[in-house]
Amino acid sequence: MKLRLRIRLRLLMAWAAGLATVALGALGVVCFGVFDTTASTPHPPLIAWATHVTMQNAVRRNARRMPPPPRFTPADAQRGFRLYEANCVMCHGGPGIARAAWVSGMTPAPPYLLDAARRWSPNELYWIVRQGVRMTAMPAWDQTLSVKDDWDLVAFLEQLQRLTPADYARLKAAAQPEPGAAQKPSPP
Amino acid sequence: MNLHRLILLAAGLGVLAACAESSRSSGDLGGGDPERGAVIIVREACGACHQIPGIQAADGQVGPPLGGVGRRTIIAGMLANTPQNMAYWVRRPQAVVPGNAMPDVGLSEAQARDVAAYLETLR
Repeated sequence: MKLRLRIRLRLLMAWAAGLATVALGALGVVCFGVFDTTASTPHPPLIAWATHVTMQNAVRRNARRMPPPPRFTPADAQRGFRLYEANCVMCHGGPGIARAAWVSGMTPAPPYLLDAARRWSPNELYWIVRQGVRMTAMPAWDQTLSVKDDWDLVAFLEQLQRLTPADYARLKAAAQPEPGAAQKPSPP
Repeated sequence: MNLHRLILLAAGLGVLAACAESSRSSGDLGGGDPERGAVIIVREACGACHQIPGIQAADGQVGPPLGGVGRRTIIAGMLANTPQNMAYWVRRPQAVVPGNAMPDVGLSEAQARDVAAYLETLR
């Protein structure tokens, strides 16, 4: 009985020592800046995996609590295309369309979205657009675009997976600037 | 052992080494650096559209998966798969196949060689 107690105590002490070492190590990383904060080098694989999977699961969890998405009309997608051209294409590119050159300097790298609608549900896409993604360069568009704008962007992303480079060019040619408030987003 | 025999032996070993090398891979990376190529592939987000072994989060299903691409015969449906052709294809996809979904992302010739070198290692 006494021996067992002694073993238990030792185990507890070993755990405490281990925890203290981890805590000290973490504090050391913070105090001495022993962490690569440059954007010129990609994340180490473990950090890339942990941050990305955490983001995916957080988005899925939040999107599940949303009411079902609105039904999209072709006009919504067309408005979404204009918004995409004005706000998104420089970082996310399009079919046959590269991102702006300086975007290669971002870590994590903003992805092309040709298959975004296969990876994410409409609610999930809306959540990402509306709320942004922390610790990436993805802004929350809740301040600068309206709720309707953000849903229209999702409506366009649903179409994007079916657009060839030629389709995209046709859309671009057809998108005349909206009379009046083309560049001015409506208030949220 | 006389000098002649020694030279013959050395030559024989050299040939053997060369055979072992060529059976493993072509060994020709086209002068690029595969490690630098891997970093460029991450930064250009190639993995958003392609599955690429060894590249983080490269699970795209837009273009063809690139596992074993170093062993492939034809790339872009029309070019012999040499490191030189691969470098040209990744740098100027719109010149090779105008109107295809893969954009010219603005790689320099040196960057394209590095990317091709990495892809060549996928066997």
